[in-house]
Amino acid sequence: MTEAHSFGVIPITCHAWNGDKTQLALSPNNHEVHIYKKTGSQWTLEHTLEEHTQRVTGIDWAVQSNRLVTCGADRNAYVWTFANGEWKPTLVILRINRAATCVKWSPLENKFAVGSGARLISVCYFEEENDWWVSKHIKKPIRSTVTCIDWHPNNILLAAGSSDFKTRVFSAYIKEVEAKPEATCWGKKMTFNNIMAEFSNGGGGWVHDVSFSSSGEKLLWVSHNSSISVVNAAVDIQEVHTSRTEFLPFVTCLWLTENSFVVAGNDCCPVVFSCDGTGNISFCAKLDDAKKVTNTKFTAMDHFRSMDKLGSSSEDNITKLGTTHQNTITQVSVYKGTKANCSVFTTTAVDGQLVNWDVKSLESSIAGLRIC
Amino acid sequence: MSKNTRDTLFRKVDVDQYSEDKFEEDEQGDGTVNGVGPNEAEVQTLLSQGKNVDALKVALRNPPVTSKNQAVKDKALQVVMRVLLQFKSSDIDNAVKSLDSPTKDILMKYIYRGFEIPAEGSSAQLLTWHQKVFALAGLGCVVRVLTDRKRV
Amino acid sequence: MCLENFSSQVVERHNKPEVEVRSSKELLLSTVVISRNEKERVLIEGSINSLRISISVKQADEIEKILCHKFMRFMMMRAENFIVLRRKAVADYDISFLITNVHTEQMYKHKLVDFIIHFMEEIDKEISEMKLAVNSRARISAEEFLKQF
Repeated sequence: MTEAHSFGVIPITCHAWNGDKTQLALSPNNHEVHIYKKTGSQWTLEHTLEEHTQRVTGIDWAVQSNRLVTCGADRNAYVWTFANGEWKPTLVILRINRAATCVKWSPLENKFAVGSGARLISVCYFEEENDWWVSKHIKKPIRSTVTCIDWHPNNILLAAGSSDFKTRVFSAYIKEVEAKPEATCWGKKMTFNNIMAEFSNGGGGWVHDVSFSSSGEKLLWVSHNSSISVVNAAVDIQEVHTSRTEFLPFVTCLWLTENSFVVAGNDCCPVVFSCDGTGNISFCAKLDDAKKVTNTKFTAMDHFRSMDKLGSSSEDNITKLGTTHQNTITQVSVYKGTKANCSVFTTTAVDGQLVNWDVKSLESSIAGLRIC
Repeated sequence: MSKNTRDTLFRKVDVDQYSEDKFEEDEQGDGTVNGVGPNEAEVQTLLSQGKNVDALKVALRNPPVTSKNQAVKDKALQVVMRVLLQFKSSDIDNAVKSLDSPTKDILMKYIYRGFEIPAEGSSAQLLTWHQKVFALAGLGCVVRVLTDRKRV
Repeated sequence: MCLENFSSQVVERHNKPEVEVRSSKELLLSTVVISRNEKERVLIEGSINSLRISISVKQADEIEKILCHKFMRFMMMRAENFIVLRRKAVADYDISFLITNVHTEQMYKHKLVDFIIHFMEEIDKEISEMKLAVNSRARISAEEFLKQF
């Protein structure tokens, strides 16, 4: 079912797992990155990485090469390598003049991309002869802060959502470090900075998160007008399928299989949706049945205590929410499996909790939840 | 410089407007295609026949969201308000149920717009409408009123 | 009240409430007014990382106007103790709250909403009670004064 761990009351801005899921990197809403190790059921703090001077906005763990990349509001990104029992930072030259907002390793882990408030994306790769990370910019035609990015599984294409209400797919092909890419359903021409597709969900609303499906054919994004959109490039690259939901805006999204995905955000509760071959979205189930927290026995003692504490005697004055998370969920990531077949996923939230959700056991306990 | 001339006006010059990658609103048409607003005569006929639900549907058709002309928007609002105020509060539930979800979003936009121009007794009626639409369309509907650039 | 931590994209290394600086129009939401009548209105302005709620309170007569003004002034002088209160009300309104992402991170969002609603419910009651108190005090002092003659 679900398994909750609390890391205090401070919001968790972002988190990342290592390859075998025994270690966890998270940022407690400040300039530090904490690395926790799991021993039994306890989490112990192993390392604290302090190199950023302002809030850390993104962490990603390269699982094969065991490297970390972090970016922060201080306009810098660092690549961390683990040697002799400690993490060593290497500064990346991003050449941006506003805060970095998000960072992601490419699937082959030879490049990474950083989105920023400078209305551009820095695609960074390692230059052998100079022994440092250099960056190339994707600039046109982004008109506002880049809020989220995701890599296509072919290591070339990059999807980016931004606060100008648009989602775009770019080519991030760097001829210095990789072979010429093969054509995909997103198009043939793949010179660097070429824009492959541009989508709008119609009604405005900042894009909060984007995600490619495991095949790379479907692109999913969530935006601030509570809508979820899917494009299936294999069927029709022009057609955007949008579902306008009745929930509060979602902040983060993740594919669980090729045909179903989970979204989470301001409602504090992950919701599973599925989409068919063409991309039509349908609601599956809420994973957290928001049962009303009611004291089964309301004693006179409680009554006077609440009068004393809150100055009111009303019985509906309950602070706790019915959901596991008590505040906005900030990130969803795969814990067990892959994007093609995820069996357990993790959410972190502003309430400082990390929760593991076991999809298989949830599937058997919640009626109407079918993940295929 | 400011010390010498005591001129502080230059501080208020918006230099960012010359930045080439500044955000610009999407080009919106002048509303010849689908921004003309509802057909007032048709609404009036339906109202006089007592077909309130049909009148509501007609009134919510062709919202002038892309129009730049404020007079057109005001006119559309008046028509919709007239329909909304015709309803008895017991009929509202069924009327809202018969609408599909994009139309509910449009209705919600008109309700919020109606709040901006309070008239005698209109707010109470609008609050009832708001309650009923909210019960069916949820928070997402309200959020879309806030986020949508295309206002009625 | 769906806010996030958002660094300024106009000023380097700054982070400010977008609803106040209004520097990038794409980061602002449509403003919404909810009114019960001409006098009682609530204005809600949202943005990506902050939101402003302004309330206009019912003022039927001169006494209520004065009381309201004094009371709001009293609160706004002590705005830092109320945390979410804005030091100055938005034009045409009596009192404003400014809620930023920092507040929603530190406090429960649903409790913040409850607080604002509770405030709106109480303020009318408070003012009419004060009005009664002022009237009765005026009556007592007038009686005492007239006893001398």
